[in-house]
Amino acid sequence: MARSSRRKFLAGILGTLGATIAGMTAYPVFKYLSPQVKTGSEGQVTIPKSQVGTGQAHFFQFHGHPAVVLQKSPGVYIALSAVCTHLGCIVQWVPTKDEFLCPCHGGRYTIDGKVIAGPPPKPLPPIPVTLSGDNLMIG
Amino acid sequence: MVILKKIGDFLDERLGIRDILEQNLTKYLLPKNINTWYTLGAVLLTLFAVQIVSGILLLVYYNPNTDEAFHSIQRIMNDVPYGWLIRTLHAVGANVIILALLLHMLSTLFMGSYKRPREITWMAGFLLLLLSLAMCLTGYLLPWSQLSFWATTVATSSSGEIPLIGDVVVRFLRGGAMVGQPTLGRFFALHVMGIPLILGVLILVHLFLVRRLGISRPPFGPDWKPTEPSATFHHEEHPGGIPFFPHYVTKDAAMIAFFLALSVYVVFFAPGLFFPPASFQPANPFETPVGIKPEWYFLWAYQTLKIFPSEFLGLAVQGVAVSLLLFLPFLDRSLERRPKHRPLFVAGYCVGIAVFIGLSIWGHFS
Repeated sequence: MARSSRRKFLAGILGTLGATIAGMTAYPVFKYLSPQVKTGSEGQVTIPKSQVGTGQAHFFQFHGHPAVVLQKSPGVYIALSAVCTHLGCIVQWVPTKDEFLCPCHGGRYTIDGKVIAGPPPKPLPPIPVTLSGDNLMIG
Repeated sequence: MVILKKIGDFLDERLGIRDILEQNLTKYLLPKNINTWYTLGAVLLTLFAVQIVSGILLLVYYNPNTDEAFHSIQRIMNDVPYGWLIRTLHAVGANVIILALLLHMLSTLFMGSYKRPREITWMAGFLLLLLSLAMCLTGYLLPWSQLSFWATTVATSSSGEIPLIGDVVVRFLRGGAMVGQPTLGRFFALHVMGIPLILGVLILVHLFLVRRLGISRPPFGPDWKPTEPSATFHHEEHPGGIPFFPHYVTKDAAMIAFFLALSVYVVFFAPGLFFPPASFQPANPFETPVGIKPEWYFLWAYQTLKIFPSEFLGLAVQGVAVSLLLFLPFLDRSLERRPKHRPLFVAGYCVGIAVFIGLSIWGHFS
């Protein structure tokens, strides 16, 4: 075997070995630092109806993100993601105007989550709500 | 490859990078009879790097609070993916570092490399050993287990035997009358920031001195003779020696691989070696577990305190032993470095190792 090809062969072996070791080291570190999925976080959230009066909003955690449920009119509930679609701030409920306001850049949404004004590019994503006795099943 | 060459050319034009690499790698010549013991410096640098990386990763999930510390460690071990691997590697790595430091010190002693003009290199190295032990001591408390709590209680209590200021020292170390949140806070700060900063500076000083003075030639072979040290600064050259790169780097890499393999072997096949049952119970200040012992590298000190009639005498003996080693280059001023021409020193060296091992075994079984 020529000297140069032998050197290339050895360099190739070393490179492969180094890359394998680097990969074997990097994978556990990546997994260690990756966000963990908590069991049960994908299920429904139960909220007592008594916590959500007519025209009132109730904020809660849904699948790791803030969300809001409100009683639009007696017996009619709506749940939305509370994360502004502009840059991820949390919207506030303004009961006097029946709308959501994002305090960061002034984005405004209707009670159904549609954009009225400001920079948000999309409406607030809705979350399904069902009634179950005295509770609201969200998700 | 073309891109790499272009980057190399860019740096070379501006910084003369190829000349720096040549002077420190391929044209940096080491003694022809250099041996494996000289690789321990590179091994230690690698092991310290592993500790820094695994330590930073542990900080992501660790909570230095007496209510949370133990649970955060349990979470790392049981819930976080590969947390067990990183935590065990960190704990085992600390032990392997102490082993490598002791071997490095013993080889330096045996070959007389601490002698003039390398007194400061020796002292910086010895202080690195002491700081590494301090790292181990402060890190031991952080899991806030029964073992952590009571080992730290015993270790800090022994300072109380210092005449006049003993009680003040103990309270200062603990941040209060007993080991508690203030102790955890200060040990945490020292372990992750205070000591590593000093350690880093000392490592740089040690490396600078090694490079500035040149590698000491091993005192073996027929042509080695004691030479009168130069009155002015002299860099020890080794004309006709072996290049640092690739020759000695290969040997360094082999030894680094050996020590990493040793660490990984313990992590995978004997993970409980450094975790006695008391390390799996949360700290309880009202219940002292039976048979608490320090780690193997502190057993000699633990047993010394027990065999002397007063703890102060034991502490004094430890202080004298440590000071003797620290200032050894100024006490042993002969030019001779060949072990077979230093029978008294070699006898003392062997007795010293035997006493260290003997006290450690005694301490373990006592």
